[in-house]
Amino acid sequence: MTTLVPVTYKGGVYRHDEVMDLIDDLGGYVVQKHVMAQDVVLQSFVPRDDIELIRGVAKPLGGEVIEAPLVGTEIAVVSPSLEIHHLPHPACDIAEYLRRAGAKTNMIGLARGFGKRIANLNDEERDIINEHDLAVYALGNFEECIGEKLPALRRGIHVPIVLTGAPERETLIRITDPPVEGYVGGVGRIMHRFKRPEELAKLDELVEEVSRTLDARRDDLARDPLSIFPPRLMTILEEQIYEVTMLTHPTPVTVQMEGLRVKLPYDLYADELRPLEVAEGIALGDIVDILPSRMRNYILIRIKPFSETGILV
Amino acid sequence: MPQLKQLVVESPDAVGREVYERIAADVLQDLDLVKVVEHLYIYADPGVPIFIAAGVLRHMPRAIRVGDFANVNIGEKMIVLDIADETYLAPLLQRLWARYGKESVDQPDRFTVVLPLGVAGEEELEQMVIADPSETLYKDVIYALQYIAPEGFKVRRQYIKGGKFYYVASEDTLPGDIVETAVEPIFERMGVTL
Repeated sequence: MTTLVPVTYKGGVYRHDEVMDLIDDLGGYVVQKHVMAQDVVLQSFVPRDDIELIRGVAKPLGGEVIEAPLVGTEIAVVSPSLEIHHLPHPACDIAEYLRRAGAKTNMIGLARGFGKRIANLNDEERDIINEHDLAVYALGNFEECIGEKLPALRRGIHVPIVLTGAPERETLIRITDPPVEGYVGGVGRIMHRFKRPEELAKLDELVEEVSRTLDARRDDLARDPLSIFPPRLMTILEEQIYEVTMLTHPTPVTVQMEGLRVKLPYDLYADELRPLEVAEGIALGDIVDILPSRMRNYILIRIKPFSETGILV
Repeated sequence: MPQLKQLVVESPDAVGREVYERIAADVLQDLDLVKVVEHLYIYADPGVPIFIAAGVLRHMPRAIRVGDFANVNIGEKMIVLDIADETYLAPLLQRLWARYGKESVDQPDRFTVVLPLGVAGEEELEQMVIADPSETLYKDVIYALQYIAPEGFKVRRQYIKGGKFYYVASEDTLPGDIVETAVEPIFERMGVTL
């Protein structure tokens, strides 16, 4: 079986459809396509052995292929509030940098995430964060505050957390009990853009920490694979459900590591999705859980593992 | 006591102290207050929890008059105002309209305003007050402090008068004598009495 690796293709609009066709023909998937004026960015999964081939095709078009460890993941960037204290820097800078590494990021500004004693997390915030593959907590500057409020902000969260804050990494590790999955120190509440080399190095460190955390999850998945590879299911849905192609969202179907978010109303489409035939004799409902998402009225699809269904599409 | 620099931040948390110094400098710069604030002393202790900022303003910006941004030329048939800096053009027109009526104020191009001869003397026009930047300055200073302070510190007491200002904030109820016990000593260090 060929291994699909996440890559980003960057190039011009001119003849980019040839690159998309090539990826498709090679058995890869384009999970996200961004057209920005003259430029196109394709977040895709391609067979490892064929990267050089794609590079060859892209070269005369002025396109480049870069490895992007976070393609196919949806990450929540959690900020204590939406006030000027925490936005736009650093939460937006973090979200933007993760996007460059291929992730689909959503920013979540908590209603009452500020203050060490008064910080809390409501059920909607908790459920939305839990719908992601990973949450990056962009917290503040004081060791004492982070230590005191983190337990409240992580209550009920079962996705991996990467914690950022101004104290050193070692300090963050010391004050979190039980430990979270990743830490990046030296990134607190700041009032300017990340632009100095040492600040950008911190963001690189964050991307590394996030990919390391997700790799651990990927290793688990390799031991008990999903019944269907999420990008593959995305392609099937796009082919079979006409309305998906009519959506104007940047990502009408968002690919996650273990599922998908389909931006169609749950009430109207859930029953239509369940009997959908994904392969001969296999209905979608057999291999996935179709759930209402807490994000607007979207549909959340969680793919069941092979061990549960005994089916591998 | 040593003389305070323009910006001093003290905190029991060494990392937090350094970051707050940067935050304060960034905010003052963003809001264009670097030249306005002479001293700013900040004490932040999340353990108490308390955030105190106190300081002194430098000279207040003076009122802007027509002569500051325009040349007044009294011609034979009319008075021509030659605008050098457009920043205050809108409030200038408002004032002229209010005083001489819209029909008397003509603006043939962006940088020229024409008035009929005899409505005012050169001196009178040049000295006409158009805007007072200090009106919004107080608001800006308090906004800057609110912006610098940790967000969770919602209980606050603020003061700005006669070039001196302080801002005390906490997550919990502030003690009634906080100004006497915590803020006045800071002003003493700066060599001013509140």
